[in-house]
Amino acid sequence: MSRFFATGSDSESEESSSADEITPKAPGTNFKQSLLLSDDEEDTKRVVRSAKDKRFEELTNLIKTIRNAMKIRDMAKCLEEFEQLCRAFLKSKNIVDKEGVPSFYIRLLADLEDYLNQLWEDKEGKKKMNKNNAKALSTLRQKIRKYNRDYETEVAAYKENPQESADEEEEKEQGDSGSSSDSDGEEGDEVSATSFLKKKPEPAPEANKFLKSDESSSSDDDEDGEDWGSDTVDSGSESSDDGEGKGASLALVFLKKDNHIIWIVKNVSIFMLFICSIHQEKPKMFAKGTEINTVVVLKKLNEILQARGKKGTDRAAQIELLHALANISAENNLGIGILVKIKFNIIASLYDYNPNLAAFMKADMWKKCLECIDELLDILFENNNIFIGENIAEDSESLSISDQPFRVRGCVLTLVERMDEEFTKIMQNTDPHSQEYVDNLKDEGHVCGIIDRLLDYLENKGSTEEICRIYLRRIMHTYYKFDYKAHRRSLGLQGESKSEQDQEESEGEDSAVIMDRLCKFIYAKDRTDRIRTCAILCHIYHHALHSRWYQARDLMLMSHLQDNIQHADPPVQILYNRTMVQLGICAFRQGMIKDAHNALLDIQSSGRAKELLGQGLLMRNMQERNAEQEKIEKRRQVPFHMHINLELLECVYLVSAMLLEIPYMAAHEFDARRRMISKQFHHQLRVGERQPLLGPPESMREHVVAASKAMKMGDWRTCHSFIINEKMNSKVWDLFPETQRVREMLVRKIQEESLRTYLFTYSSVYDSISMATLSEMFELEIPMVHSIISKMIINEELMASLDQPTQTVVMHRTEPTSLQNMALQLAEKLGSLVENNERVFDLKQGVYGGYFNRDQKGGYQQKGGYQRDQKGGYQNKQGYNRGGYNRNHNQSNY
Amino acid sequence: MASRKETAPTTSAVVASTTGTLDSPVKQIQIEGLVVLKIIKHYQEEGQGSEVVQGVLLGLVVEDRLEITNCFPFPQHTEDDADFDEVQYQMEMMRSLRHVNIDHLHVGWYQSTFYGSFVSRALLDSQFSYQHAIEESVVLIYDPIKTAQGSLSLKAYRLTPKLMEICKEKDFTHECLKKANIGFEHMFEEVPIIIKNSHLINVLLWELEDKSTVADKHELLNLSSSNHLEKSLQLLMDRVDDMSQDIVKYNTYSRNLSKQQQQKHQYVQRRQQENTQRQSRGEPPLPEEDISKMFKPPQPPPRMDTLLIAGQVNNYCQNVKEFTSQNLGKLFMAEALQGHN
Repeated sequence: MSRFFATGSDSESEESSSADEITPKAPGTNFKQSLLLSDDEEDTKRVVRSAKDKRFEELTNLIKTIRNAMKIRDMAKCLEEFEQLCRAFLKSKNIVDKEGVPSFYIRLLADLEDYLNQLWEDKEGKKKMNKNNAKALSTLRQKIRKYNRDYETEVAAYKENPQESADEEEEKEQGDSGSSSDSDGEEGDEVSATSFLKKKPEPAPEANKFLKSDESSSSDDDEDGEDWGSDTVDSGSESSDDGEGKGASLALVFLKKDNHIIWIVKNVSIFMLFICSIHQEKPKMFAKGTEINTVVVLKKLNEILQARGKKGTDRAAQIELLHALANISAENNLGIGILVKIKFNIIASLYDYNPNLAAFMKADMWKKCLECIDELLDILFENNNIFIGENIAEDSESLSISDQPFRVRGCVLTLVERMDEEFTKIMQNTDPHSQEYVDNLKDEGHVCGIIDRLLDYLENKGSTEEICRIYLRRIMHTYYKFDYKAHRRSLGLQGESKSEQDQEESEGEDSAVIMDRLCKFIYAKDRTDRIRTCAILCHIYHHALHSRWYQARDLMLMSHLQDNIQHADPPVQILYNRTMVQLGICAFRQGMIKDAHNALLDIQSSGRAKELLGQGLLMRNMQERNAEQEKIEKRRQVPFHMHINLELLECVYLVSAMLLEIPYMAAHEFDARRRMISKQFHHQLRVGERQPLLGPPESMREHVVAASKAMKMGDWRTCHSFIINEKMNSKVWDLFPETQRVREMLVRKIQEESLRTYLFTYSSVYDSISMATLSEMFELEIPMVHSIISKMIINEELMASLDQPTQTVVMHRTEPTSLQNMALQLAEKLGSLVENNERVFDLKQGVYGGYFNRDQKGGYQQKGGYQRDQKGGYQNKQGYNRGGYNRNHNQSNY
Repeated sequence: MASRKETAPTTSAVVASTTGTLDSPVKQIQIEGLVVLKIIKHYQEEGQGSEVVQGVLLGLVVEDRLEITNCFPFPQHTEDDADFDEVQYQMEMMRSLRHVNIDHLHVGWYQSTFYGSFVSRALLDSQFSYQHAIEESVVLIYDPIKTAQGSLSLKAYRLTPKLMEICKEKDFTHECLKKANIGFEHMFEEVPIIIKNSHLINVLLWELEDKSTVADKHELLNLSSSNHLEKSLQLLMDRVDDMSQDIVKYNTYSRNLSKQQQQKHQYVQRRQQENTQRQSRGEPPLPEEDISKMFKPPQPPPRMDTLLIAGQVNNYCQNVKEFTSQNLGKLFMAEALQGHN
């Protein structure tokens, strides 16, 4: 420290106080020192330290931290440090053997033990401690007891006379430092200072002593100490506000009588110097008269970059510095290469500005970042002779102006990708219902523009891999947007005015075409599985969004993603879920109710649609996950403008479940083992039934439940009015692009399914019914009714025949009555009872298989035969059971 | 001769009474018409649907005949009067009835039933405690649904002495039941009932019968059957389900048991082998360990419930059988009538 000040500060502080125009004697060394302070300082220290000093310093440092931890009662930290200390002490054993156990070490041991005992006694305090700390306390106490046994005499001696021993040491140290060289003195100075502090006298004398010791430690040091003092005062009083603030805080720190003092003083002074250097040096990054050439600038750049990632570095200042450097190099016409290089670094340090990954960029930083990237791209486009690449080694770069093309290390693609991620992060962290969100969203166009430009650039220059990556970015920004222009065009509506049409044409191809082109390229060229998976999913999503159901479905089936998506990482899984949902909604719009239901079943049945789509966290899980997980999950959230409307999703699901489930329920009313098609739908129905008083439906769910009830009675008009009304329109149906068509489809479906339900429910009441009546009741054309009924008859759902001449349906009455149904069920149950009973019997007898052989000839066969003339469902079930029997049979034979 | 003739019945009576104490103290139950009416009325007023009404029977034992001369109902339990003291209520009722010179001996209890579902654990427990305290006590089961169809259904049951033994020991494992050799058909015994009225009432009844028209008796000829059958089947099915579950439970138990037996056996064998080896090497044998501690036998499922369910199923089946046979008869009758017309 003192060495640095001795050379650096006497020239610099004087300069800064006087004026700018005084030219430094050695500009090169000057700026080196002002910028690379910490390195410099460390170097000097490291060189001269002896083994003993090194070890002892390590120990004293550890002791310092322990004492700090003691102060804030952080037992866990204390324990950790103590363990380290023991290890360090062991390491320095041979030195200790030579020199004797250092007294500061003994002092710590004694103090720590006292302190721990005191804490241990303090029951109240212990109760307040958190579990971790309490545990650490007890372990530490045991440890130190054991440990101190070895140093019993020393500790006892210290305890007897703490003051003396401390003084002794101080004297000794001072003596040491006095006689030794410059740097040794500094070392001793530090140690003695700590020893002062350890005694904890009142603040004022302490500070005095501190300074005194500094002065008195050696003659060489004396000068330094003064210098140091004056320096702080100088900078505190005369430099900018910043400096003053620091000065004040410095004073505060002095008063605080903390062990920190030395350390902080060191850091703060460095920091201040740094700030000073920024403030004062900026306009003259290079000394006047220095010939500014590529080499110098590069050197400077490297120096700036070396400070990157270090603790004390002011990141904002660094960005400023880089900008200044860029300007300088531009002014001096150092060529594009260097400019590109600096730009790269500016953008990188912009990204670095946020210390952790979770935080998002501030608006001004973001703007700057966009500008910078834009400029960079401008340069790249203007100059064809620049090669950039990640794999160009630092030393093979050619930045100076020459005939050869520039070679610059760096990757625009990574920068742009990072920018895209930052954009997502900004969107995630903005309240979606605020104006701010809209403002931020406006930048999306800019981001897309940049991606597009880079895409153009890379298409010419990049490797396929890079092209794939940038394509995926492009796709990611396209797939979720509904292409209204193409939609309008496909509807055959011409733009209202000529100019609009022109504009449309000039804006280029359909997003579908773009998607197709980009995705196909990726399918063909990509070698990483992930990009292809994402591309496929986005492609499907895009197809589904634009109602190209068959393409979407085929692509989904061809990709076989359903089989192995569970191995993908969470973001891809979220994308998959989104795609499936979109696919389901698309199927619904096309009237493929069953497909829609199947696609949505997985997402909806879990009840965690929100979480699965990455559109929000569930409160339920809050206790289960810790803060870390929550952060990770938050990072996975999809920005609000890409969300899929959850209510729409649920409504689509419930309505398709209704259209499937209600006729099924009617058909299998007496079937004891009928399965539920949709658990969630049943749940909603049950919730509806539980209501003691049924008012007119309010929410979407209530509407669907009410509609289901109406449908159960075959009352399609009521059902229709519940599903399609103004409330539901505004909530759900108007969200579809082709609202009218969807509504028509829905009405149609409701009529058909109501007819089926009606026939199932009331066929036992009719002997025959004319199709004309049915068609009138359900407002369907007679051929339609005919086809529905024929289908039901073919599927053996309806026991009836069509009488062609009179156009009537004649019921056959083969439906078992409820009593018969009951008897059938009983027979089945008795069958299983007997089976179970026989199993018990077999176990007793130790003979396996006897029963089953009997069974196959026996009464069951008859029962099977009896049921075979029942409906198809029965037959299936029977077949299934039979399979089960056989399997059991086989097993038991082994 | 005369003396012998006189002695004969007494001895036979003595024999009967001794056998009665061995087998069962009551051979016959004689019920006053009043009691029947009171029970019916109680159900009509208090019980609806599957709800059950209960009450206390009063009377006395005459030789091997239990005469039930009066009864009083238990109030229906509601949530409001949780602190209602049944015992006190009974005692007070009996004291009050004694004041008006009514038989005050507690001889059992009655209960209404819903489609004959009365064989339950609760009934078993309370009848056991009755019979334990008052040996001659019976339970009267009144079936309002059957009664509504035209024929009074009132049955008296007692626990068999075998079942009493088992209940006393409170051991319902299947070994115990096997030892006692008790099946569902041996759990309850039905005691024949005679309804006795005073002569005046008999006369009145005759008169009423003469006066009543054919239409009043049409209830008996009701041909609709499915409702009742459906209900019975439903209940039967539930019981069968329970039974299946019990059997499955038992099945797992016995499988576990046999598995454990096997393990135990293996363990013992291994021990033996080791010991013989040790002996050959001249080492002391391993100490005997408590095998039963190492292999805790699995908890055997109580079989009493299964037994009860079986009894209940039996009961349902009887009901259904009775009902259907009657109905068949009616159907034939109706057919004949139609043919005749």
